[in-house]
Amino acid sequence: MSIDLKANTCPNREQRAGAVNAYYGKASDLVQEARNGTLTNKEREFQQSSGCVLNFYLTTRVVTIRDAVMIVHAPVGCSSTSLLYREVYRRIPLSEGRPADFDLHWLTTNIDEKDVVYGGADKLRFAIREAEERYKPKAIFVLASCTSGIIGEDIEGVVAEVQPEINATIVPVHCEGIRSRIIQTAYDAFWHGILKYLVKKDIPKQPDLVNIASMLSYTWQDRKEITRLLNRIGLRPNFIPEFATVEQFEILGAAAVTAPICPTYTDYLSRGLEQEFGVPCFMYPSPVGIDHTDEWLRTIARYTGKEKEVEVLIKEEREKWLPQMEKIQNEFASIKPNGEKVEILGSLGQGRLLTQVPYFEEIGVSSPAAIIQDFDNLVLDEVQGIIDQAGDFDVLVNTFQAAELAHITRKYDPDVALTCPFQGSAYKREKGATRIHALRGDARQWSAQAGYKGAIAYGNFLLQSLKNKAFQKTMLAKTPDSYKDWWYEQPDPLHFTKQKGV
Amino acid sequence: MGTVTPLRTKEETFYPGVVEAPRFSCALGGAYMSTLATFGAVPILHSGAGCGMSQNFGQNFGAGLNGAGPNGNTSTPCSCLVEEHAVFGGEEKLRDLIKTTTELVRGSLYAVISGCVPALIGDDVGAVVKEYRGGAPVIHVNTAGFIGNSYKGYEQYLEAVIDQLLTPQPVVRKRVNILGIVPYQHVFWKGNLQTIKNLLEKIGVQANMIFTENDGLEALQSIPSAELNLVFSPWSGINPARKLEEKFGTPFVVIPSVPVGPKDTSAFLRFLVRRLQLRRTRVEKVIAAEEHRAYRFTEYMADIAMMALPHAYTAIVADTGTAIGLTRYGSNELGWLPEVVVVTDDPPEEYREEIINHLTEGLESAVKPQVHFEIDSHKIRLLLREHTLQLVLASSLEKHIAVDELSAMQVSVAFPVYDRLIVDRTYAGYRGGLALMEDVAYKYGGPL
Repeated sequence: MSIDLKANTCPNREQRAGAVNAYYGKASDLVQEARNGTLTNKEREFQQSSGCVLNFYLTTRVVTIRDAVMIVHAPVGCSSTSLLYREVYRRIPLSEGRPADFDLHWLTTNIDEKDVVYGGADKLRFAIREAEERYKPKAIFVLASCTSGIIGEDIEGVVAEVQPEINATIVPVHCEGIRSRIIQTAYDAFWHGILKYLVKKDIPKQPDLVNIASMLSYTWQDRKEITRLLNRIGLRPNFIPEFATVEQFEILGAAAVTAPICPTYTDYLSRGLEQEFGVPCFMYPSPVGIDHTDEWLRTIARYTGKEKEVEVLIKEEREKWLPQMEKIQNEFASIKPNGEKVEILGSLGQGRLLTQVPYFEEIGVSSPAAIIQDFDNLVLDEVQGIIDQAGDFDVLVNTFQAAELAHITRKYDPDVALTCPFQGSAYKREKGATRIHALRGDARQWSAQAGYKGAIAYGNFLLQSLKNKAFQKTMLAKTPDSYKDWWYEQPDPLHFTKQKGV
Repeated sequence: MGTVTPLRTKEETFYPGVVEAPRFSCALGGAYMSTLATFGAVPILHSGAGCGMSQNFGQNFGAGLNGAGPNGNTSTPCSCLVEEHAVFGGEEKLRDLIKTTTELVRGSLYAVISGCVPALIGDDVGAVVKEYRGGAPVIHVNTAGFIGNSYKGYEQYLEAVIDQLLTPQPVVRKRVNILGIVPYQHVFWKGNLQTIKNLLEKIGVQANMIFTENDGLEALQSIPSAELNLVFSPWSGINPARKLEEKFGTPFVVIPSVPVGPKDTSAFLRFLVRRLQLRRTRVEKVIAAEEHRAYRFTEYMADIAMMALPHAYTAIVADTGTAIGLTRYGSNELGWLPEVVVVTDDPPEEYREEIINHLTEGLESAVKPQVHFEIDSHKIRLLLREHTLQLVLASSLEKHIAVDELSAMQVSVAFPVYDRLIVDRTYAGYRGGLALMEDVAYKYGGPL
């Protein structure tokens, strides 16, 4: 499906890519159903709060764009997540390369009872002018909400009306919470605004520039590692969107290639840049694990004419890091008697599924099942590739459904459960548990996951989780479970899912 | 540092609600946090899918890096409404959700909290909730994000409890309820509640904290048995207190803030002697022992206080109650100079004059604070720049501004607090001032 930048927004992931977020079965069946076009999403009778199009990701990320202002056209609570804005990157030491001079801003239009009756267009107009006068930004992002959508706010109309008097480029983002069951629609809605309003045409190409859209569940150290590697072969990364400048968006079309860290996240941007600006892209692999980092670098090198340089780099890096990787492999191999592999279960985006399962293979651990937030037909070949490589496996598709995650974690009982604050009580258990990713703005070495350095750091990090289980065991013993016993005694994590599709 | 341009003076139509980073969430958020603070209660959000998870960043994590507990964040049952529900109605989805939640999730009370979407599409949530009366109680907090802020939601939760759950009880002498301490918005809420309860226990008064009582449902149900309701805020919590007076005849008194340090704590206890007709000699004995210990311990911090921060020009940026408590302690016990106070919880107009009185009268300091009511974090930043300051007791939004722009020390004491973990930390009571000084000194500590 081509991208239509004349439209106000992207199609939902459901329409664009047949996305679902309720499925439990074999990965091979999931791929097959998606190929056959028979994969349908299901309505849950029991459901838990899991983020929305506005508030899974956008309010915490758009606000970090350094010389922009985010306006959330919504009731006051919809932007409360953005209260972290003045601190989120400030804890990164300047010595780690954090720019000293930046100042983030956002406004809420604070839609109230009067506005839902009479409309909030005047308020939004005022907010845009206020943003311009107060902060002199280069861009103003206007984020829609459930309420602005239901009361029928004409955001495009307001933007068209005030843009002539505003220096900043206004970027409307149609991220009404109710628009889609698939919160990953937020990525596309945001990239649509970027492609439509910010990326400049007809600017000189920068043949050494590599676009990298990075979800900062990959950390500051990952950025440093990727920068180090690209610099070694004469290339420069352009990391967007988090903590970027508006100019970094403007020059996206000048880059030599768009490389993935998370393909499901980057997809719409990558395709849009290719279609509209002729920037080639690739979706696989991501730079997680030694082998995939090699491949990721090689692919970038093909687009930038750095084939020779990259082989020198890879050779040197492998010499440096492989001995450490072997130590990690040996330690994992020695944990269980009789050569059994350590089992690790984590909840991932489908992008992370593609990076983490091969990484687990590399360090010599296995996954009894995969839990992925969403599944769509954008990555079918890649998932098939994983099945071919690692064998078929069970898949639970669910977006942060804590009860289902508690169920499946107990059912498969892996040696280590990878969790994050969105997985409820799944960390309370007799066996290992650790975090799947770090806090944003975490600049510590041990939080690295990407590149060669990250492959080693994350391997050692996972090993640590097998060395003491006191916290999760204590919490399991000393706190009551949120769910009644029968939940764990029946076999289906999707017990409360209606059979008919939606 | 980035530049901040001055505000323009004239604007044709001014919308005071359009602000940078106001320090609260919405009414749904407030009702939701209060439910989470009631142990054993399970919130059921009838709303868009993000209304629970987003409060985890904005309210739980914002209140001293707190987790949301067993039923919060992504563990919160939610109808996760999307467009088709907006078109065809969300009542069926809610019906399924209440049924499955009561089957699956352990709880002694279920609170259906309805948000913007059902309010806008006209779901009859009350009728759906009524269908489930009979098993564990299910109440409905009829709110919406656009109705107001977190403080409003806190009151709406209590009012829903009063209307739908409470029945008259025999009044028990020397039993009181603690109102006005808003979970998460008052970042020291857990420690404040426990400290007041423990303090009152020492003088023979039984206090119902409501929040964080081991049995939350029982705590709620026993609210009407109190002799008196204590509202620890000049404004927040007064509406439910009035409702309790109307419905059960329970009188209430307003304590302007949670008392910080020995002087205000003793004054509070002496007030209760009069109000609850307690035995004066018993209470005076408690006061004497507590004060002796508190001031003996103050000697341990006196040297560092005198060396590092004597007579500090202080800014306080906080909710009303926290601002009053810290202004009074700093001014009346530590010798600080309260230069400016910014009240950030948006109290209704009719309470503001009285709040100014609480903040400016009865202070030993010759410097009386300039008092501002401001919810716009940008304007707060500009306001602070107009003052010479040495100490800023504020939210963590002021953390870097205080150091980089004001050359002042900063300690995070008010919502939002993203730079320290607050579990049961408190500045309430006899030991509270010492705890504050421990936190302040943590920032400037060093060898003589």
